[in-house]
Amino acid sequence: MNAELLGVIVMFVATLLLSVPLGRYIAKVYAGDRIWTDVIFNPVEKLFFKLSRINPTKEMTWKQSLTAMLTINMIWLLWAMFCLTNQSWLPWNPDHNPSQTPDQAFNTAVSFVVNCNLQDYSGETGATYFSQVFALMFLQFASAGTGMAAAAAVFNGLKERTTDKLGNFYNYFIKSCIRILLPICILIATIHAFNGTPMTLKGMDTITTMQGDTVHVSTGPVAAFVAIKHLGTNGGGYYGANSAHPLENPNYFTNMVQMIAQILIPFAMVFAMGFYLRRKKLAWVIWTVMTIGFLLLVIPTVISEVNGNPQIAKMGVMQPNGNMEGKEVRFSSYATAFWSIATTVISTGSVNGMHDSFMPISGMNMLLGMMVNSFYGGVGVGFLNFFVYLIIAVFIGGLMVGRTPEFLGKKVEAKEMKIASIVALLHPFLILVFTALACYFASHNTNMGWWFTDASGKHGASGWLNNPSYHGFSEMLYQYTSCSANNGSGFEGLADNNPFWNITAAIVLLFSRFLPIIGPVAIAGILAQKKFIPESGGTLKTDTGTFGLLILAVKVIIAALAFFPALALGPLAEFFGMK
Amino acid sequence: MSVHRRSQGLFDPKLVSEAIGQSFIKLNPRILFRNPVMFTVEIGTVIMLIVSLWTLSGNAHQGSFAYNLSIFLILLFTVLFANFAEALAEARGKAQAATLRKTRKDTPAKKIVLMGEIFLNEVHIVPSSELKKGDVFVCEVDDIIPSDGEIIEGIATIDESAITGESAPVIREAGGDKSSVTGGTKVLSDKIKVKVTTDPGESFLDKMIALVEGASRQKTPNEIALTILLAAFTIVFIIVCITLKPFGDYANTPITIAAFISLFVCLIPTTIGGLLSAIGIAGMDRALRANVIAK
Repeated sequence: MNAELLGVIVMFVATLLLSVPLGRYIAKVYAGDRIWTDVIFNPVEKLFFKLSRINPTKEMTWKQSLTAMLTINMIWLLWAMFCLTNQSWLPWNPDHNPSQTPDQAFNTAVSFVVNCNLQDYSGETGATYFSQVFALMFLQFASAGTGMAAAAAVFNGLKERTTDKLGNFYNYFIKSCIRILLPICILIATIHAFNGTPMTLKGMDTITTMQGDTVHVSTGPVAAFVAIKHLGTNGGGYYGANSAHPLENPNYFTNMVQMIAQILIPFAMVFAMGFYLRRKKLAWVIWTVMTIGFLLLVIPTVISEVNGNPQIAKMGVMQPNGNMEGKEVRFSSYATAFWSIATTVISTGSVNGMHDSFMPISGMNMLLGMMVNSFYGGVGVGFLNFFVYLIIAVFIGGLMVGRTPEFLGKKVEAKEMKIASIVALLHPFLILVFTALACYFASHNTNMGWWFTDASGKHGASGWLNNPSYHGFSEMLYQYTSCSANNGSGFEGLADNNPFWNITAAIVLLFSRFLPIIGPVAIAGILAQKKFIPESGGTLKTDTGTFGLLILAVKVIIAALAFFPALALGPLAEFFGMK
Repeated sequence: MSVHRRSQGLFDPKLVSEAIGQSFIKLNPRILFRNPVMFTVEIGTVIMLIVSLWTLSGNAHQGSFAYNLSIFLILLFTVLFANFAEALAEARGKAQAATLRKTRKDTPAKKIVLMGEIFLNEVHIVPSSELKKGDVFVCEVDDIIPSDGEIIEGIATIDESAITGESAPVIREAGGDKSSVTGGTKVLSDKIKVKVTTDPGESFLDKMIALVEGASRQKTPNEIALTILLAAFTIVFIIVCITLKPFGDYANTPITIAAFISLFVCLIPTTIGGLLSAIGIAGMDRALRANVIAK
């Protein structure tokens, strides 16, 4: 048991030790400093810029950056839609998988464009090698690069100078993908390939079991897919079972590598901010706030999973390994519980166990991780979400001590507050309104017509729930929370591959991805245009423990007040029901 | 100025009765609309009134009449209290402004008239409100400076505590960057000749009067930003309460309208929303009391 606990701690410490130098490297990449990797990457980048006729030194205003971001995302969405709806006749389809239906393809394309990877399909049967590589894996790189480029633009806007330019978005994007994501992915993919993860285009393998049955096993370019899936905090598995699948995550070592890969860049982005703006202390404060939030969620989760299910204990069954329902024996309940919170506080959403089978408290902590969505958060976007809370905290803090609110020498005024409020408002709005809609239909068993058909051909809305009562509520809440946090993990147990869930989820995804990117970039753009006020004795210090505590309080209050009623009806009610 | 010692208590009966009347007038939705937080509470109050009447006419699903009525009364009291706080602050401000105005009018000014009736540079005693921009007046020991201006001749020690709160006298002299004087301050020694730099109604004292009255009190940028934040919180809680209805349906737990509205009012930032404008006016009031009137 101690060895298992040690394994979790080693994972965390290793990530921290790796992320500090990586943060320094990322800061150098965005600042355009000379680095030792220039020799390899400069020619590749030049080729890209030459082909696309982009001048990487031409700076953009915040509006131009956002236009660039939205345009390329739109094109990627159309490309992914095309691939998924036509995959049956496109090349690289040795298993003869069918094309996706339009609503499913829409959901899948949107969820990969927005870095969510909700996956209402199963990779073995729902996608071909062509779609997996050229649509889905491509988007895993592109969406991660988009988030990082947006964060880089925000870093640029926070520098100590007055300007209306935030750097070149395409330049940040290409550099994020080629200089940061690609090299690390090659390393991770190689580790996986040597540990038994398939990397082939040959189609299904056939094995004969010891009983003499013949079993077909899906293979494919899995190792490459797994690498970017975690490093880019995408979380969409190659297989339906995601990282619980023995070929996608063969052993405890690969589990550790995947774990480190998904936390690595969210950590590193915070440190990159510190190195880039020369405010290392602020970076450490932010990291500490995030870590406290993370620990507050992860510790109760590990405890409740390790202690096992009280209902099973009542039957007199010993549970020496904790609650093992829906968990893989090779990962243990410690590592799985740790993973479940890491994957939800960060917007990865890959799973190595069945979240539906976790204890209610663990389920609530996963939901809370996604509801706050900025304890680390996804690549780039995690920092952007945190930035919004930071602005609100600076404002409240400034008023409390009677100073004009300032952040990094720029005044925070009504316009920035308006944007920050809208972004902070959006998350509870999307989650609660859509869950309420689904609840309404389910409780009235509304005839959904085309929108929903259950396995027996009925259109009643209550048919999408496989579990009644509080747990069913948690499943619906989890689905929209996962969408709104761009997380992509599922509580499952919900019949979600139908027009209603596919389309409503896609709408939530689009809003919750792009508004929280537009908002912070706009705030950074507006702040950048303001006069820089040098720090004086009257400035509210943002790099102190007190201020860190204030940010944490703001987050907790917003999340607790907005989501407590919903959580009380879901996981909390279930928790008290199980006693 | 020192003769106008404040005698108003916090709950001066005259002010209180005026404020009570105002707190009902302020129930007008068109006035209350400017304060979104209290406006939503008022909407809740109206709904509770309707629900109370509904239960009285025989509906049994929304709890007893007494329960609904008591919630209605509590909400009504909340709105009235917020209005009362604001009205009281306003009334106090108005009363003070009147005192201040009187002060200004009563201060005599020793105006120098270039071509006097008998001599050149004759000194006339006029009320300070008649001083115009460009006029020149003279101030001697113990005189109150009647208007904002610039010293053109002489040097004096001046007690500026009425405006700045600084009790040590300061030296002002003609020429250089320490030549300006403010209306309402007092000359402690020597004699100065001052040229008026503001028109009547625009002096520092006038601005303070306007501030206290609340007439020209513009919202500060921070106040505007705070209102935005409070509005955002209010919207979040509207969403939380409305979505609770389908959640309750799903859990087979009917929730009464009274419970929804009570929860909503508890969640939204009523305290700060209700008292924000009162705080603003009270702040001005205090500043003035500390520096000007009490002296």
